[in-house]
Amino acid sequence: MDINTLSKIKLNFVAREVGDELVVVPLSGNVAQMNELFTLNETGKFIWENVVEGRSVDELAVLMTECFEIDKATAERDLDAFLVKMDLLEKYNR
Amino acid sequence: MSVLGSEFKVAIADIVIRLFSDSEIELEDGYVPFLVDANAVVDIQAECFIGLPQLNFDSLKLLFEARNDDQRFYCIYDAPEGYCFVLYDQQLKDEVQQIAFLNAEFDYWKIYSRNAMALKYPMGPIMMHYLTLYTDAVLMHASCAFDGEKARMFSGFSGAGKSTISGIWAREGAQIINDDRLLIRKKEGAFWVYNTPMYYVDSSKKAVLNAIYLIKHSPVNVMKNLSGALAVSRVMAFCIQNNFDRSFIDRRLQFFSDLCGATPVAELGFVPDKEVVAFIKENEF
Repeated sequence: MDINTLSKIKLNFVAREVGDELVVVPLSGNVAQMNELFTLNETGKFIWENVVEGRSVDELAVLMTECFEIDKATAERDLDAFLVKMDLLEKYNR
Repeated sequence: MSVLGSEFKVAIADIVIRLFSDSEIELEDGYVPFLVDANAVVDIQAECFIGLPQLNFDSLKLLFEARNDDQRFYCIYDAPEGYCFVLYDQQLKDEVQQIAFLNAEFDYWKIYSRNAMALKYPMGPIMMHYLTLYTDAVLMHASCAFDGEKARMFSGFSGAGKSTISGIWAREGAQIINDDRLLIRKKEGAFWVYNTPMYYVDSSKKAVLNAIYLIKHSPVNVMKNLSGALAVSRVMAFCIQNNFDRSFIDRRLQFFSDLCGATPVAELGFVPDKEVVAFIKENEF
């Protein structure tokens, strides 16, 4: 999934922080899909919360290097892997 | 035996509901053990009418529909000052059985029924569900056994063994709060688990919840502790809810986050015999 699509479909989810993690509930037609909720670890939570309209992959990777003390190549690799996993959410793109 | 009258007070999860009508209404026998004294302080009013009002469905916005492949159970519409519920007869399918209105504060119902049965299924469970939005609570598909020291809740998918494990605990002397539907309420700093009126008669029960187990059948007894977001997501999946409003979902997430932060959660694979009782006691938290 590309980062712009993810920034748009985030409106179709309700998320809440639990410690360093995030619980994410998908909505379909405004109704929660409780059998499809998922969790994100600390890195996933950071990415999810910082995907905003207009922010590029490159800009987000830089943010990750500042937050997690990792190099940019590692950040980009983590970000790519995250976005690939987000392909599962394509059905909420409407 | 069901009871007839023009005014009743029932307490579900320590929330007092006053049902009243100009006509005589009937409460099914499952509610009888939950009747409380006429002097009990009322939290929620339920004004009951016999006869259905005319509704212009074209002017109503559908918020939620509870149905399966065969039939509708009920629909929820946006109403000027809250919500409108249209309940369908479970035998006659598309025939409207009841129409109910609930205000936005979740504390005043107007229930219009074809007959005197004001809380005829599914009206009763719907009302119980909305108690959880009136206060800090959730309704769960789960069983709970209280052995005099600890109340342990068991939840899982259909067929996972909720009734089986309740039966085992009951034979070992534990009190079963209920083996199918529970209301968990945060009250005075603790999480209380309550039974709710069922189609059969059972006394009103409650206990402070001490542990949550997500169960499944297994060739051997095995337990794995869960925490954090994973525990929240796994327990929340067994909540009974009409989540058509983001604020409802957000409240649920907050509740389960608090619940799972305060109460140990574990996966439990179990062999359906009495050894699981000792296994739990020896291995829990």
